[in-house]
This record gives sequence, C-alpha cells and structure tokens, in this order.
Amino acid sequence: MARITCAALTKKYGDVVAVDALDLEIAHGEFMVLLGPSGCGKTTTLNMIAGLEEISAGRLSFDDAEVTWTPPHRREVAMVFQSYALYPNKTVRENIASPLPLRRQPAAAIDSAVAAAAAQLEITHLLDRRPNELSGGQRQRVALGRAIVRNPAVFLMDGPLSNLDATLRLSMRGLIKRLHQDLKSTFVYVTHDQAEAMTLADRIAVMRGGLIQQLDTPEGIYERPANLFVAGFLGSPPINLIEGVMAGGAFSRGGWRLALPNPPADGRSVTLGLRPEDVMVAAPGLARLDARVELVSPLGSETHLDVVAEGGLKLTLRVPKEWRAAVGDQIGFGIDPARLHLFDRASELRL
Amino acid sequence: MNRPLAPRVTRALLLTVFSALFVLYVAGPVAWLVSSSLQTEAQITEVPPNWLPPTPSIANFEAIFAASERVVTYENRRQGEALTSNFLPSGAANLLPAMRNSLVVGAWVAALNLLLSVTAAYAIAVIDFRGRRATLYVALATRVVPDIALVVPLFLVIRNLGLINSLGALVVTYLAITVPFTIFILISYFEGIPRDLYRAARIDGCGHGRALWHVYLPLSLPALVASLTFAFLTSWNEFVFALVLTQNVAAQTLPIIISGFIMDFTTSFSFVNAAGVIAIIPPVLMAVVFQRYIVSGLTAGAVKG
Ligand SMILES: Nc1ncnc2c1ncn2[C@@H]1O[C@H](COP(=O)(O)OP(=O)(O)O)[C@@H](O)[C@H]1O
Ligand SMILES: [Mg+2]
Repeated sequence: MARITCAALTKKYGDVVAVDALDLEIAHGEFMVLLGPSGCGKTTTLNMIAGLEEISAGRLSFDDAEVTWTPPHRREVAMVFQSYALYPNKTVRENIASPLPLRRQPAAAIDSAVAAAAAQLEITHLLDRRPNELSGGQRQRVALGRAIVRNPAVFLMDGPLSNLDATLRLSMRGLIKRLHQDLKSTFVYVTHDQAEAMTLADRIAVMRGGLIQQLDTPEGIYERPANLFVAGFLGSPPINLIEGVMAGGAFSRGGWRLALPNPPADGRSVTLGLRPEDVMVAAPGLARLDARVELVSPLGSETHLDVVAEGGLKLTLRVPKEWRAAVGDQIGFGIDPARLHLFDRASELRL
Repeated sequence: MNRPLAPRVTRALLLTVFSALFVLYVAGPVAWLVSSSLQTEAQITEVPPNWLPPTPSIANFEAIFAASERVVTYENRRQGEALTSNFLPSGAANLLPAMRNSLVVGAWVAALNLLLSVTAAYAIAVIDFRGRRATLYVALATRVVPDIALVVPLFLVIRNLGLINSLGALVVTYLAITVPFTIFILISYFEGIPRDLYRAARIDGCGHGRALWHVYLPLSLPALVASLTFAFLTSWNEFVFALVLTQNVAAQTLPIIISGFIMDFTTSFSFVNAAGVIAIIPPVLMAVVFQRYIVSGLTAGAVKG
C-alpha cells in the first residue's frame, strides 16, 4: 500500500541545489533504482522520502496523503544504510527488534517476528552477538532484518551493498531481489553501480546534478539512452562515442562514411554511439572496417579488444571468448546501423 | 632484527625519570597533605621536614569530630596551644555541616548540569535549526569573562532573587559556569557518533527524546561521566562566588570554612591539613568509582568497521 509521488521535490543546502525540482512517481510494489555518480543527489532524494532531510520545496505524497512535513517515525518506511548503522551497544536480536517495541507490540509477537526475519536471512545463529563481532555481510543482513521485521510499505536502501566485496555483493543482490518478490513492498534503491541497477530494477532513474536524466526500464535505458550522459554511464566497457557531422544523409568523419537509416539533416554535428558488443568481428577485408588490435583483455567469458580503425578511430570491441587475437593483428568488423545511437553534439540529446 | 641495546635503555631510563618527576610534581602536595595530617603541629613545623609521620596519629581527625560537639565561644575559643596541636580554630564545629553543604550543592550541580547540557548539546549537535552555532558561541562567550568581574552583578541578581545565603544560590551560579563547557564537550562527542545511527533511530520510530535516550546517551557514557565529575569538582572547589553569596554557616561550603581556619595570629596547620584530607575524600572516591566507565571504543562496530 504505497505509491510514492515526488512533485517538484527540491533540496537546497545554502546555494547548492542538491535535488532540483524532481518529479517521480513510484508505483506500488515497484523496485525503483536511483542510479548516478557520486554527488548527484541520490541520497538526498532518498532521505527526503524517508523524512530525514527537510524538503526545501515541492510535495511528497504516499498514496494520496501528503507527507512533506511528516516526521520520519510517522512515515512507515524502513531504511537500510550503506554503513549498516547498527546500534553497537545492542545485540543482533535487539537490533532487529528495535523498531518493534517502539510500536507497542506484545513481547511474544516481537520474538516471533525477529525469529522469522532471522530465519529468512539465515542469521539465527548470530542473534546473541553484537555488531562488532560480525562480518560486513552479516551486518548488512542484520540491517535488512531490522527493516523487514516491520513489514513496511516502503523500503529505502542507500547503497546497501557498496561496502561489501564483489562475491558477497552478488549473493546479497540475489537476496534483495528475492526479498522484493516475497514482500511485494515498494522499494527505492540507491546505487552508483550500474550492474546492481540493471539486475534489480523494475525502472531506473538515472540522475545527474540533482536532475533525472532518464526514467525507464533497464532495457529502455540501455537500448535507448536519452542523452550522451546516460549512454556513457551504462555499459561496461563503456559505449564508444565517435564525433562527426552529417553529410549526404550519412554520418561522416574524416574520410569515413556510414549510411544511417533515418538520417538527420545535413551539416548537423552529431556524436555516434556504438556499444562494444554491437559489432560483428571478422577476418580483415571481409567487413566494413579494418582495424589493428592495440590491447587484448580476456575476461574468460568474453574478450575486450582495444583497436585503432581507419582514420585513427579508437574503439573498444567486445568479442566472444573463442576469438583469439594478439596485439598487432589486423581484424575487420561490421556495424549494424540499426543498433547505432545518434546524439546531437550541442544538446547531447538522442536524435 | 634486534635494535641496538644502548638506545633502548636510554629511552626507558629517560621515560622513567620524567614520569617520576611528573608524578612527584602532581602527587607531591597531596602526599604532604596526607602525611602532615597524621603529624603533630611540632612535627609539621620541624626543619628539615618529616616526609613520613614519625609517630602517626589520628589526633587531628579526632579533633574535627570532637569539635562538632563543643560549642566554641569567644571566651573559650583560644583554648589549647597551636604548637601542641590542641588548638582548635573557632569555626571548627562548622566543618562537618559545611561538608554536607558541599555535597548537597555538588550533587545538584552535577545532576542538573547533566540534564541541561545533554539536552542542549543534542539540540545543537543533531537538530538543524537556525542559529545553532550562534547558540554555542554565546554560551561559550559567557565563560570568557573572568569570574571576579561577575561577582558583583551576580551578587545583585542573587540578592534580588532572595537567594543570598542559600544553597540554591550556589547551585544556580555553578551551573552558569559548568553548563557552557559541558555543552561544548558533549557536542563534540555527539558529533562523533555516526549520523546514520541517528537516522536509523528516527526511521525505527524514535522521536528526538528517544533518539537521545536510546542512541546518544548509551554511546556517550565516558563523556557523561566526565561531565558529571567535572561539574561536581567545579562545585566542590569553587571559592570566590561562595565567599560572596553565602554569609553564614547555613549555606557555607568547605572551601570557605577551611580557609576560615587560617587566622591572623595562630594557624593550626595540623588541623587544617586534616580538614584538607577530609575535603579530598569525596572527589577521590568519585574518581575511583567512575574511572572504569571512562573507557572509549563503545562505538566500535556501529558502522562499517
Ligand atoms: N549536509 C549537506 N550540506 C551541504 N551540501 C550537501 C549536504 N549533503 C549533501 N550535500 C551536497 O548535495 C549533493 C548531493 O549529495 P548526495 O545526495 O549525498 O549525493 P549522492 O548520494 O548521489 O552521492 C552533493 O553535491 C553534496 O555535496
Ligand atoms: Mg549517497
């Protein structure tokens, strides 16, 4: 039971506008990820939804009730912090139970709720320890327990996996996704990690400088980036950006021309985006472009090639692991014009 | 790899010598106080001094407790000879009541100081309101004025409040001294507590009162104990304001009464020293009881470790 509506939500710290008139509607039961580089206003947005930061301007509603001025303890939200924020003087059991006594529940109900949460997170054996006797992953499970024990309508998470090592992050990601499927609450999840965003989100809001750059499904964000920033922020290795101009209905850079399906007007300065995986690599001479291999980065599952193509064009390509290349090799590759992204160079918007 | 022996020995030696000098400097007067309280007047004034009592005796302490049973009048106040330690200052009987006054004032100051400072420090450290820094600066600025400059205005205020010669006058005055410092100390302690703990508490359903009680106080035990001790000691030792604001034995505290023992013509060092020993017992007890609470590291494991 919670649809979150942010209407022109703004946060100013003195002259610094941390969040700039943000409009965002998060559906009931949705998994919304706020994604962006450090300092873009993700945490501030989340804290305003939680009630931890005063809202400078705008309106915040849960369902149809305005909560702009409601203090956090009256908002029925649970939150998980990057720093875990466990009470160091309390045991795991007390930490998980901490939201409950304040809500005047009977002791037996508290015990069974804590036991259920601990079982779900597989931390039953840790209940009598204190936070400083736990590993990072265990601490974050306790923090999750403290959140789910309340069965909240809204779940807020501020980079909950950022302090964990890579393997742990992967398994915790799965845990959080299952949690969302079980609880059916509304999740708002903040991260700067695109892989987390892509795997977890129903929809992603990509932020920069306190503004939402694009709001879409993970596929939509990846396949139809709204501007150069979004295109560059998602994808690993990052998208290749090639600057050029439109001439005769084709993209033109130096002597190199590429016919496009729906070309913009001639003379326009544009940037072409080419994802490293959107190429067909072949033997030299057989494809559209020839290039020389400069760097080979095998990842096991796939290989990344840094190449220099005709006209000094530097590109990163993603090829199957079977493709054995060595530095200095000549290769050829083809581009499917339908998979290219074209941006206006001045406005940086997608064309 | 072994370091050469000589520098290590030198280092240890230097450390020992300087530590010993420091201990002597700090503890010397106290040791002399205790030692001399167990000596007769003649032994105290001998040259060279007796560092240890030649014939330890608790006669001086007996005199203190005897004094409370004897009425000192103008006629009998000169009884005994200073040199044979039978001399009792005229105010001797006031010593134990003054001790009681000091304890009462100290306890109130310590308790109220904590109550006022904790709430003020929480507000300034945690709640974002206009003028939070200014509040602190104003509070601290009051402590820049030397006490002696405040004596007369304070006397007038207290008199107009009708509090002259009451313990309340001292409690109010001492709070004005201790609260600004305590707020300052607690603010820096509270600001060292991870902000996310406060946020978690708010999310978990705590208003400000509960956040203070459940998060800030348990994690600030060392600072709270230090504040308690600081306030009590300030009150226990204070002299100038007590001298002006209390004019009879009903409200006079230990420093006033003990200083009254030092007279123009005859002073019984042995009696004053015994009184001094009694005066340091409560602070010493306090230090012993509280020192085990003054441990840091309570916040370990709160956030990413
Ligand atoms: N308490 C604060 N005072 C002043 N500026 C702040 C404060 N908190 C955040 N900011 C600024 O607001 C912007 C957004 O911060 P934040 O929401 O923490 O970013 P993110 O979580 O996306 O890394 C940053 O430029 C940051 O410097
Ligand atoms: Mg952040």
